[in-house]
Amino acid sequence: MLKMTHLSKVYRTEVVETYALRDFNIDVKEGEFVAVTGPSGSGKTTFLTIAGLLETFSGGEYHLDGIEVSNLNDNARSKIRNEKIGFIFQAFNLIPDLNVFDNIEVPLRYRGMKAAERKQRIMESLERVGLASRAKHYPAELSGGQQQRVAIARALAGSPRLLLADEPTGNLDTQMARSVLELLEDIHREGATIVMVTHDPELAARAQRNVHIIDGQVVELSEDPRFHPAQVAAGEVRG
Amino acid sequence: MQIKPILAAMRHHKAGTVLIALQIALTLAIVCNALFIIQQRIERMARPSGVDETNLFVIRSDWADKSDPQRIDAQMRADLIALRQLGSVQDAAPINSFPLLGSGWDNFIKLQPDQVKMTTDSAIFFSDEHALATLGTRLIAGRNFTASEAGAQQPRDAMHAAQVIISKDLAHRLYPDGSALGKTIYVTMGRTPSTVIGITDTLQAHMTGSWAGPYAYNAVLVPAQLLNDYTYYLVRARPGQLDAAMRDAPKALFAQSRMRIIDHKDGVMTFAQVRQRAYGPDRGMAILMAIISAVLLAITAAGIVGLTSFWVGQRRKQIGVRRALGATRRDILNYFLTENLLIGIGGVMVGAVLAIGINVWMVSQFEMARLSLAYVAAGVVALLVLGQGAVLAPALRASHVSPVEATRSV
Ligand SMILES: Nc1ncnc2c1ncn2[C@@H]1O[C@H](COP(=O)(O)OP(=O)(O)OP(=O)(O)O)[C@@H](O)[C@H]1O
Ligand SMILES: [Mg+2]
Repeated sequence: MLKMTHLSKVYRTEVVETYALRDFNIDVKEGEFVAVTGPSGSGKTTFLTIAGLLETFSGGEYHLDGIEVSNLNDNARSKIRNEKIGFIFQAFNLIPDLNVFDNIEVPLRYRGMKAAERKQRIMESLERVGLASRAKHYPAELSGGQQQRVAIARALAGSPRLLLADEPTGNLDTQMARSVLELLEDIHREGATIVMVTHDPELAARAQRNVHIIDGQVVELSEDPRFHPAQVAAGEVRG
Repeated sequence: MQIKPILAAMRHHKAGTVLIALQIALTLAIVCNALFIIQQRIERMARPSGVDETNLFVIRSDWADKSDPQRIDAQMRADLIALRQLGSVQDAAPINSFPLLGSGWDNFIKLQPDQVKMTTDSAIFFSDEHALATLGTRLIAGRNFTASEAGAQQPRDAMHAAQVIISKDLAHRLYPDGSALGKTIYVTMGRTPSTVIGITDTLQAHMTGSWAGPYAYNAVLVPAQLLNDYTYYLVRARPGQLDAAMRDAPKALFAQSRMRIIDHKDGVMTFAQVRQRAYGPDRGMAILMAIISAVLLAITAAGIVGLTSFWVGQRRKQIGVRRALGATRRDILNYFLTENLLIGIGGVMVGAVLAIGINVWMVSQFEMARLSLAYVAAGVVALLVLGQGAVLAPALRASHVSPVEATRSV
């Protein structure tokens, strides 16, 4: 589903070059639920933005669903983001000017979907996250947990094959974090591939596979007995 | 198009939206009327005078000794002989006033001696049998004055012109259904009848004010030179000899007598200068209106650029989110163009009503024509295009916001 080989990402400013990712290799199979952990600044978000085609990379290869993406133009990338990928951000990123219904509708409109189908999908995904009664509310009128569930509904409405989540529970308390994770597990069971960045060892432990990133490189934990997922996720071990 | 969600989002920045819409409305209202005024002034300035403007010039001679009308009469006859003898001059005539001068005599014209209300108003030009040939104005019916019909009169004398020649517009005004030729009319308040012996082609009156609109082409030629404190001489140069004639003529006059004053600055004026002066206020008004329009349009465009830029800056994050959710650059560009179009449509609807309102008010207050709806329509299109043009740069900038902005937490 998602395969990066020898991928690198360099941020250049006038003074320095920062390798956010270097010789980065990862292979996420269709239907996997992968938790990505690693210390702050190690390149987790960078990996996710490249995986989600939000950003280009400097070297190496990235195959998404069998397609080498570096040759795609901006429109093609937009189309893939719209149809294949669902994003869940730590900061929810709902559009404050739009109510819940209109927020979920945004990606569906960009897909050119008919109004009737849009409405059906929106209501379905809102029911899924248990917020059907809040369709007319604005983001500011919802709790953090509710906002994140709306964001998940927005990501779900387009039935993406790949769900990318960057610390989806980072701004939530334990209780809400758990319910959001349960939701993701549900979605995973239905066949979606999920890649989730998290700092929370408990959540990371519930994923099928843990990928640890240190200094822009992947360290496969399952193959390295020195690491304990809980320690690693808490950022206690440096590579 | 995504009109519904754009409208929904617009409710969250009402103040800016309303401000820009109002600015567009006011600009439209004022610019429509300003352009209409400009067009009317240009139309006025383009009206034909009916005289041979390229070869014509005028000399104003103020008499040093104003006491003896007889002497003035004799002097004028001598002056005219001298002028007509000049090689560069085709013809010359005395006249009290002339088309586009601005000042002169205008009087009531009546069809019956004891009529109380005027039939119309008309310019009165006192001249002689050379008037038509000098002006370069054609007779379309009847005959010219003869030398023996041409006399003289003082300003305070009662008018006693047995024969007059009138312009075709006046003829038509007096006798809409038939020819005025040979008919009797009454010029001024007097009871002396005048017979219309000739009708000229188009001949403009001296009056240029907008009040004189309906009378602007009414003229009566009276075969009498006016013995006033000054006189004008109309001089028609031979083709191509205007400069020479303008040099020769004052010399010839001073050779006749030095007892006169011909002003350095405007004692001798080409007809082009006369026209320039006559329409100075119109030109000024047109230029003022053009400046006001340009400034208003510039301010409105700047307002749109400014506010949209501000909005784009404010919404970078949500633009990034939209891009992350699958919006193409085009989608983002269209979003801002559509948003601006919606605001613009709101603005021009209010503005169109306002434009017509201003015009209705001006019609009731001043001598103003009804605003043609074509101007409002053109203004509406112009402002919408201006809006789209102004919003283009910030909208393009918005479309280049990277989707990665969605992940930035600040
Ligand atoms: N736009 C950028 N310009 C320059 N450097 C950047 C940029 N974005 C990220 N970096 C650098 O790339 C490295 C990886 O950043 P990234 O945001 O991927 O870390 P992270 O693992 O997500 O950290 P955190 O857990 O704190 O979110 C960091 O050193 C960061 O400073
Ligand atoms: Mg991060």
